[in-house]
Amino acid sequence: MEAISRRELLKRAAVLAVGTPLLLNRPVTAWANEKEAASKVVLIRNQQLFAGGDTPDPVICEQMLDEALCTLTGKKEAAEAWASIIQPSDIVGIKTNAWKSLPTPPELNEILKARVLSAGVKEDNVSIDDRGVKTNPVFQKSTALINIRPMRTHAWSGVGTLLKNYITFAEKLSDYHDDSCAPLATLHQLPMVKGKTRLYVLVLFTPQFHHLAASTFSEEFTWKYNGLLIGFDPVAIDSVGLRIIEAKRREYFKEDRPLNPPAKHIALADTRYHLGTSDPSKIELVKLGWDTDTYV
Amino acid sequence: MTYLRVRIIKSRIFVCLNEEWQNNLYSKTMRNVLISVFIALSACPSVFIHAQKIDLMDQLPEQYQSYKATDWLDYTGEALYDYINGGAELYLSYGLAGMTGCKYNGEGLPQVTVEVYEMTSPKNAFGVYTQSRDREEYAYGQGSQSYDDFILFWKDRYFVTITTHKATPESREALKYLASLIEKAIPAKGEIPALVKELPTEGLTPGGYLYFHHYIWLNAYLFIADYNIVDISDQTDAILAKYGDADARCYLLLVAYPTDEAAQTAGEKLKKQFAPELTPANPIIQLEDTTWFTLRVKANKLCAVFNGHTRQQVENLYQSIYK
Repeated sequence: MEAISRRELLKRAAVLAVGTPLLLNRPVTAWANEKEAASKVVLIRNQQLFAGGDTPDPVICEQMLDEALCTLTGKKEAAEAWASIIQPSDIVGIKTNAWKSLPTPPELNEILKARVLSAGVKEDNVSIDDRGVKTNPVFQKSTALINIRPMRTHAWSGVGTLLKNYITFAEKLSDYHDDSCAPLATLHQLPMVKGKTRLYVLVLFTPQFHHLAASTFSEEFTWKYNGLLIGFDPVAIDSVGLRIIEAKRREYFKEDRPLNPPAKHIALADTRYHLGTSDPSKIELVKLGWDTDTYV
Repeated sequence: MTYLRVRIIKSRIFVCLNEEWQNNLYSKTMRNVLISVFIALSACPSVFIHAQKIDLMDQLPEQYQSYKATDWLDYTGEALYDYINGGAELYLSYGLAGMTGCKYNGEGLPQVTVEVYEMTSPKNAFGVYTQSRDREEYAYGQGSQSYDDFILFWKDRYFVTITTHKATPESREALKYLASLIEKAIPAKGEIPALVKELPTEGLTPGGYLYFHHYIWLNAYLFIADYNIVDISDQTDAILAKYGDADARCYLLLVAYPTDEAAQTAGEKLKKQFAPELTPANPIIQLEDTTWFTLRVKANKLCAVFNGHTRQQVENLYQSIYK
């Protein structure tokens, strides 16, 4: 991908007669490749998710996952939908995220495991892991992966994404840090990962839209969005998630507050590494459930 | 294979010897070797720095009310990746000497974590702080940010964060106690970079500027370029600042280079790639989005104003630097 400046974007925007604020807030969309088919992403939200307290209602979590997967796969029944992505002979690694302040909700990990088991996979052939994936025997011999993590802002990559969630498969983490984590999409080329992912789930139950310093966390900078984004294209899902985070930042700060640094790894996953699409016009976003303040 | 490892924790020196060394520990030769090692270590500047850092750790209590220190943290350089992965790049981009700290746990209490980032200079600790603030606050150190679930501050060459998983009355008290304790344990104050003093104060958004040495931070307030368009490096001091109200905001980029020639080169690069139509007779131009832009180099400094809402706003801001 060519290097790009604000001025170059302004000139292109003038030629294309596209609204410049939109373009400049999302340089990701300025030079996306043409794709033959739109990437389908399902956003599902439920207003009652936290009605019972601080933790998500597991029954609602289950309903959300099943309904979203049915919509994604075009199947009528949940069992049929799960069977279409997981075979009984599969060895399945559920790549979760264990960051102490905002981990993947354990309820979702357990539901995914239960669904994989109900698809006929043997118990010994399913594992949930994050930092131990490289030495986890199930992940080492896995035939299928499910990538699930919460979305949050990040001090170096702009946002923590599905693309970034595979970094624990890397031999040397810092190999993927250059230029604010620009090469994160190449994690999908690692032998333990390549071609194995059957489902991506970006959790936006309580996304973190802002942070100060690298390892601080404050509930002040999260909100109950009560959503899940699921699909087969991690770039498309991360791209939609990014738009939600950016919109929330505009609302909270009452002005444009770009992520610092920008989340360029999502755009580059499309334009440089061709892993998926980041261009909203080429993403088929299906929205289900609670529709207040959806932001996309 | 023989090895010897020396660690200093809480003022106590721990020497780890492998079996081969231990078998020979009582020989005169081994004793002499150990004595020589300690003499050499105490004369080494890096060990002196490390010892100072550990002295700060000495101030951290083993216990505070029902909290007990359970894990002592000690990371240097890229080892910090093991602790916070990519987040380490923020500190590394400013020059990190090391990070020490401690995790506190107590039965039924949310964990509290202290992280003390020792930067290579006070200006770098200040730089990290400018990345980490939303508002002006001076409750701790030379600038701080306090929330229910974390406190951060900078003082001298240290940037300190104290965080908790969950804000409760107990954890909030622990945050405040530890912040005060560490602040007092750092005796000196650090100098704020001289370039900061050149920022015009009129119209400056409170807490609205960043000090940095890495081009990644160039896009902190608005997208300027996804590459190093003004040759920012460890040898340069750069500031990006916000001026005006949110609905009429413009951005000042001020960079000090080690030489006048370096500033000239960077200025020509920015002009060529960003605004080739700039001329001495026409130093302020209107861009495609109707905002105004200027770029000027004077001695070793480059000054650019982005996103001006009027030509006059840009000119006034520029003139206020060189008045």
